[in-house]
Amino acid sequence: MNFITATHSELLKTKRTASFWLSVAGAALIPALFFVAYVSKSETMSVAMKANPWVSHFSTGWKVMSPLLFPMYIILICTLVTHIEFRNNTWKQVFAAPIPIGTIYLSKFVAIHLMIILCFVLFNVFMLLSGMGINLIRPDFTFLNRAVDWRFMFQLNVKMYVSILGISGLMYWAALRFKNFIAPLGIGLALLTVSLIALSYKWEYVALLPFAQPHLTLESAGKSGPFLQAAAVNSLLSCVAFTLLGWADLRFRKERG
Amino acid sequence: MNNLIVQTKDLSFSFGRQHTLQQVNMEVPEGSIYGFLGPNGAGKTTTLRLLLGLLKNQQGEIRLFGKPFASNRLETLRQIGSLIEQPSLYAHLTARENLHIYTLTYGVKTERIEEALAMVGLEKTGSKKAKQFSLGMKQRLSIAVALLHQPRLLILDEPTNGLDPNGIIETRELIKRLNTEFGVTILVSSHILAEVERMATHVGIIHKGKFLFQGPLARLQQLQTRKSLLQLQTGDDEAALQVLGKQFKVERQNGHLLLPFHSKQETAMINRALTAHNIDVYCLQPQQQDLEQLFIELTSN
Repeated sequence: MNFITATHSELLKTKRTASFWLSVAGAALIPALFFVAYVSKSETMSVAMKANPWVSHFSTGWKVMSPLLFPMYIILICTLVTHIEFRNNTWKQVFAAPIPIGTIYLSKFVAIHLMIILCFVLFNVFMLLSGMGINLIRPDFTFLNRAVDWRFMFQLNVKMYVSILGISGLMYWAALRFKNFIAPLGIGLALLTVSLIALSYKWEYVALLPFAQPHLTLESAGKSGPFLQAAAVNSLLSCVAFTLLGWADLRFRKERG
Repeated sequence: MNNLIVQTKDLSFSFGRQHTLQQVNMEVPEGSIYGFLGPNGAGKTTTLRLLLGLLKNQQGEIRLFGKPFASNRLETLRQIGSLIEQPSLYAHLTARENLHIYTLTYGVKTERIEEALAMVGLEKTGSKKAKQFSLGMKQRLSIAVALLHQPRLLILDEPTNGLDPNGIIETRELIKRLNTEFGVTILVSSHILAEVERMATHVGIIHKGKFLFQGPLARLQQLQTRKSLLQLQTGDDEAALQVLGKQFKVERQNGHLLLPFHSKQETAMINRALTAHNIDVYCLQPQQQDLEQLFIELTSN
C-alpha cells in the first residue's frame, strides 16, 4: 500500500466524525465574532480601520487565534483523529494489516495536517467573507474599496502554519501514546497554560515552548529579519524531533493495537 | 505430511513476571480448521496476537507459511485475515464504508466489498452505521473484513463469543464453507469444546500457557473413548459387584456402579450375566465421556 492510498484511507476514517466540523467551526468562530463586533460598533470601528482595513482585520484575527484558539484546535484535532482508532478498537486491525509501521504513523499525521490546512484555508475565506459582508450592510467600512494584500496574507499564513508544527508533533505523539482521551487533552492544556504564563512573564527561554511559538511568531511577523524567526524555526525543528520520537516509540513498542 | 501454515517453536511470553506462554509449539497444517481450545486466560489471545505481530516476540520462533515471521512481516500479513477479540469496526461508518477502507489497505478491487458482504449476509444494511448493528451483525462484518482480501489463513479469536444460538450456527457454517469451498486454513480459538468438536479437523488445547494436547480431532476422540465409562444401576449392587468384580474394575459412585466401557457387545454380555444371577437391571448406560469432561481431566492435571 503506498503512502497516498494510506492517507486516503485515513481521511475516509474521519468521515462524519467531529474532526471535520471542528475544523470548520474553529475557522468560523473568530470571523463570525468579528462580524458581530463590527455591526455593533460600526462607527468607531470603521474609522479606526479606515486606512488599512484588511491588514488590521487579519492582524487582529491572528492575534486572537494564535495564543489560545489555534493551539487549542491543534490539541483537539490531533487527539480526535488519532482516537478514532482507540474508540473503535481498530488499532489491532491496523497493525495486523500489511502496512509498514512508518506508513501507518505518517499517513495519520498527514491526514491531521490536511485537516489543519483546511482550517487555515477556511479561516482566511471566512475572514474575507466577514470583511466584505460587513461592508455590504455598513457602507462606512472601506473593505470593498481597498485591495487585499495577498502577499502579506499568504506569508502570514505560512509563518503561522510553521509555528504550530511543533505543537502538532508533540500532541500527535501524546495522542498515540495514551489510550485515554483525557490524558493527551490534559497534557496539552497544562502545557498551554504554562506557555501562557511564560509569555506573560516574558521568560527568557519562552521561544523553546511549542505552545508559545504561534504567538511569538505572530509578534515577530512584522519585524525585519529572516522570513522564519527563532520561534518558528524552533517549531519546525521540534516537530521533526517529536515526529521521530513518536515514530520510535511506536516502532519499538512491546504491544501494539 | 501436510505443509504447516503456522509453526511456533518454543514460543514463550511473559507480561512482567507472569508467564503467559511457556514453550508453545503450535502446528497448524494447511487446509485444516484448527480449534484452539482453552479456558479464559489460558494464553489463547496472547498466542494469536504474537502470530499477528501485535505483541513483540520475546522468546522462541514463529514461522508462517514456512517463513520466519519477523523478517517477512508485510508479505505474511498480506495472506492473513484476522478477528481478534471484540469486533473492531469504525462505528460511525456503514458496512460498505468500513470495507472500503480495507480495500485500500489490501489493494483489492471494490467489487470484493459486495462479495464479502454477501458471504456474511449483510448486503442489505444500506446506510445503517456499524454502531447501530447488533452484536451478531458486527461480528459478521468483522469476518467480512477478515476475508475481504481472500487470505490463505484466517485467524479468528472467539468469533462466536456473545452470539445467539442462531448466530453461532451461522458462523460455524461459514467457517466450514470457507474451508471446504475456498481452501482457507482457519485457526479459530474458543473456550467451548462442543463447538470446536463440531467444526475442527485439528485441535490444540492450552492451559495456563502450556499445550496439553495437539493433533487431529480423531486422536482426541480416541483418547475420549479410552476413558469412557459404563453406568449401572441394579436392584442389588452388592451382588452385582460380586458378579462383575472378577472380570472388571468396578467402582461405586453415588448409588450406582461404574465400569470401563469398551464395546456394545460387552455391554450386552454384562446385562446377560446380571440377569442370569437374578439381579434386576434398572439402568445400563454407556456414559460417553464428552470432550467437556476430558477437558476438565486434562486441565486439572
